[in-house]
Amino acid sequence: MGTVAFAGLDYAYPGTAARVLDQLDLDIGSGLVIVSGSSGSGKSTLLRVCNGLIPHFHGGRIGGSARVLGRDVLRTPTRELARDVGFVFQDPELQAVYPSVERDAAFGLENIGVAHAEMVRRVDDALQMCGIAHLRRRAVATLSGGERQRLALAGVLAMRPRLLVLDEPFSQLDPEGSGALLAALRAAVRAGTSALVAEHRHQLVVESADRWLAMSGGRVADSPPPPALPVALPHGRSQPAELSWRLHGVSAGHGRTPVLHDLELVGGEGEVVALVGANGSGKTTLLRTIAGLLAPLAGRVERRPGRIAYLPQNPSALLHRATVRSEIDWTLRRTRSAGDAGTVLEELGLGTVAGRDPRDLSSGQRQRAALACVLAGSPSLVLLDEPTRGMDEAARAALTAAVARVAERGGSVVVATHDQDLVAAVATRVVELREGAAREPVPLLAVSRSC
Amino acid sequence: MSTRALAAWSGAGLVIVLSTSNPVYRAVVLLCAINLLLARGRRGAGPRLLLVGIGIAALTATALTLLLSHSGQHVLARLPAAIPAIGGPLTLEALLFGVATGLGIAAAMLVVAPLTLISQPHELVDALPPVLARTGAAIGAALNLIPGTARSAAEIRDAQRMRGWRARRVADWPAVAVPVVLTAIEGSLTLAEAMESRGYGAAVRTHFGVERWTPFDTLVAVSALLAAALFLALTIAGQVPGWFPFPVATAPVVSVPAVLCCALLVVPSLRVRR
Repeated sequence: MGTVAFAGLDYAYPGTAARVLDQLDLDIGSGLVIVSGSSGSGKSTLLRVCNGLIPHFHGGRIGGSARVLGRDVLRTPTRELARDVGFVFQDPELQAVYPSVERDAAFGLENIGVAHAEMVRRVDDALQMCGIAHLRRRAVATLSGGERQRLALAGVLAMRPRLLVLDEPFSQLDPEGSGALLAALRAAVRAGTSALVAEHRHQLVVESADRWLAMSGGRVADSPPPPALPVALPHGRSQPAELSWRLHGVSAGHGRTPVLHDLELVGGEGEVVALVGANGSGKTTLLRTIAGLLAPLAGRVERRPGRIAYLPQNPSALLHRATVRSEIDWTLRRTRSAGDAGTVLEELGLGTVAGRDPRDLSSGQRQRAALACVLAGSPSLVLLDEPTRGMDEAARAALTAAVARVAERGGSVVVATHDQDLVAAVATRVVELREGAAREPVPLLAVSRSC
Repeated sequence: MSTRALAAWSGAGLVIVLSTSNPVYRAVVLLCAINLLLARGRRGAGPRLLLVGIGIAALTATALTLLLSHSGQHVLARLPAAIPAIGGPLTLEALLFGVATGLGIAAAMLVVAPLTLISQPHELVDALPPVLARTGAAIGAALNLIPGTARSAAEIRDAQRMRGWRARRVADWPAVAVPVVLTAIEGSLTLAEAMESRGYGAAVRTHFGVERWTPFDTLVAVSALLAAALFLALTIAGQVPGWFPFPVATAPVVSVPAVLCCALLVVPSLRVRR
């Protein structure tokens, strides 16, 4: 019997009739297995069955058979499966239980009653394997996203699981953080742990995977790995017609400590400027400064008159109305903008869900809805902060097209991102932030190392 | 110092403060607590904000008693009787009673303050008895969510401002409050999933942090329990006079054995943090 063996598995979330998993058959052995598929295809649901969060935590209707490491998932509570199945979630900020690194790494071991001396050994080993042993005394709040995600992995590796399940673990990490996490994951697989990983950013894991699965319509099938994406060069106008925004000797940061020093930057109409740089390099601070949400500590920010659209890192946090259409109408009304919600909905492929509660949508649709909310009313300056976090291909395509439309009608776009594919698809200029300074132009071939 | 010994000390201080109306004993306990915080306060856990809060609470209690209690023979000033509730004489007795009340509030808050200003939150969780260990871990995790929620609230407010939101009326606030609440709920659910996935509730919990119990901790715990027990015994025996300034203010009567009981609370300050 394989590590994971599902047969005729059906599942529907509470209060819904639609099956997210539909007569799913799956047999997984050892090695690193990647699950791909669009948002709403059932990847996260499949992963949550592996450790019993579905059905024991989420409830819902489930049928068929699900065995993991020989245990019947439907009859074994998650807390028992946790001894053998480790789970790492997408958001590194929402997994830490304790405020210090080594305490948090030990949380799972405390729960299963491991003796103190053994616990210390296992925490040491796990921190070493994930390359964060030097951070053991640090406060979790001071870690970067990549370090936090490695801590989450260390926390489950310390429990010595036989199966690791990771739900889009790279989606919020810069290339350095992603590389370190992937190295830790490979080390665990080499040590004999099986791993099942859902990931949209295929290029990160394409060389490490032993098997590829594609999910669609609640079912899963073996699939060839997706082809490598072609490397593109920055495109668009080299000399913009008019300046849209300009920073004169700007220093900016939170409190009195500047994160950015003496920046001289400009953005033009019709330009798409990609801001790249490691986690914590100041990309969000720069976006907020351009937006006027953060006053510079020194220097001056100039912007041409017009509406500014700002998409924060957690776009679905904007959504508060009863329907997607009313969200867009709200933006149009509040910004006193001319425009029609229907046009924006169609452009972003949201026509069929216009009347639905945005919080009931799949994560990809929610992100498109949030994008529609900020882009409504033809803003002249669009600022996007990590817009592809967890986006599937459809949402990514909608984003790319939306950015192109803004640039074509003379709007200026600044996008902070780790996503080199997005940079290749939309950027006309690339600015790298490092140690508080801006460097440009950055050749796109170098973006993969810096964004 | 062991968190359990510290908890015994705080409990003893609280028993003394709450069992007497005499401001002298309250003041001695207060001084012992301040001394302990100065001697052993955790680096980076500055008590300034707490002291300001305690000061405001104590001053508020004093002012309210002065303004609302019109009893007493020594009139300091008069407010027009037409003013509801606070109109009438302001007396020396009311002022003194207010000061004693404020002193009691300050002492009660300061004797429990070392539990957070000397110990780390996870040390408190570790110190809980096994029956409360799971609850303690859950509370610790919940507290860990607070800074993130505050950050998220600021980000949501800013993002909605860029969509034209302005806080002009109460009806404007749901645009920020709804996403903040929903985001906090989603964050809590994710954390709960993460805890469940890491075996929360699977067995009797063990602890990564080992709390060392030293002879000094024994001294602290025994002296604190002795202080509270002797003070209560003296009170029951009528040897610890209370204090009530009405109708005429008098100086509080002080019992030396009772003061010595309170002074036993200075023991944990005898060893200064290295």
